[in-house]
Amino acid sequence: MSDNLEQIFVKQLKDNQNIIHKICRLYTNSQDAHNDLFQEITIQLWKAFPKFRGDSKFSTWAYRVALNTAITLYRKSTRNVATISYEGQKHFLPQDDYNFEEEEQIKLMYMAVQQLNDIEKALVFLYLEDKDYNEISETLGISEVNARVKMNRIKGKLKKILNP
Amino acid sequence: MEELDLLKKVWQKDTYKNEQISEVEIYKMLHTKSSSIVKWILIISIIEIVLWSAIGVVFNTDDAIKSMHAEDALIYLKVLTYVNYVVIISFIYCFYRNYTKISTITSTKQLMNDILKTRKTVRNYVWYNLIMIFLCTILGFAMAFIYNPDMSVIKEKMAHDQSNWILIKIILILGFVLFIIIGAFWLFYRLLYGILLRRLYANYKELKKIDL
Repeated sequence: MSDNLEQIFVKQLKDNQNIIHKICRLYTNSQDAHNDLFQEITIQLWKAFPKFRGDSKFSTWAYRVALNTAITLYRKSTRNVATISYEGQKHFLPQDDYNFEEEEQIKLMYMAVQQLNDIEKALVFLYLEDKDYNEISETLGISEVNARVKMNRIKGKLKKILNP
Repeated sequence: MEELDLLKKVWQKDTYKNEQISEVEIYKMLHTKSSSIVKWILIISIIEIVLWSAIGVVFNTDDAIKSMHAEDALIYLKVLTYVNYVVIISFIYCFYRNYTKISTITSTKQLMNDILKTRKTVRNYVWYNLIMIFLCTILGFAMAFIYNPDMSVIKEKMAHDQSNWILIKIILILGFVLFIIIGAFWLFYRLLYGILLRRLYANYKELKKIDL
């Protein structure tokens, strides 16, 4: 029974692992830290899995646990050291659709996002995942209006980081 | 904001192909140990509760009291001991209830709240013990003063002492010792939980600020 549950979980996690990778990349600044946080999130997801009813999508459910682990449970400091992150080596745009200027813009934006604090990153993450404010507010435990206000402030902050 | 939406566009298509983890690796991860702060808080809390409860058991005062022939004070101490047990058990129960409430599927704010609550319970337990130490030291001293025959020399001296200087000295020494003990514990806990919870507190404050 529990072996069976483990099988289902591992399969689901493997298919949805990109959610976790996104969070790990946002909250850490080295490959080692990335792997470490990934492992902790996996453990927490597995611990919470028996409570997963399947009435929501695995991915939706995983957001919460993964974000909560990154922000709340993870012990090591994930604060950014202001160096160029390993993101520098990564290409966002696919090769067949490559546009140097756009790629640079995206990279700068990403680096700006990495300079935000943990909570701001969480808001941006959910925004980038195309979650509506209702879900953002429920995930973080703040009111919807305040989530909206905060998101606007973050946008202002990002603008300032990009154009000092 | 244009750039953010540009990022959003590529964000959702990102495949993370260099980071992909296989099923075998996930299996391995399931059997590794968590290093979350909740686990650390649990471990430290259990150590604290055991340690403080052990102190109460080890420092058995019955013999000292018998040697002082202060049996009439024994009944009060017995009552105090039982009250102490009830308090310890209720603390453990509260801690256990708070701990089981911690769940990663609640909202971030609720989760932080729940974690800080378990922490507070243990902190209160430690304070309770420190206050008990404080009271017991004073009580013990008063009893020794009244019942212990060895104290008669000091008592006699004090009777001849017009300025109460000896009494003041005793109180000063007692106060200083208690201050050092309690101060050391306070510092120790500040450091211990400061390191463990610094990030959590910062994030909790940040979240609360949004909702002001």
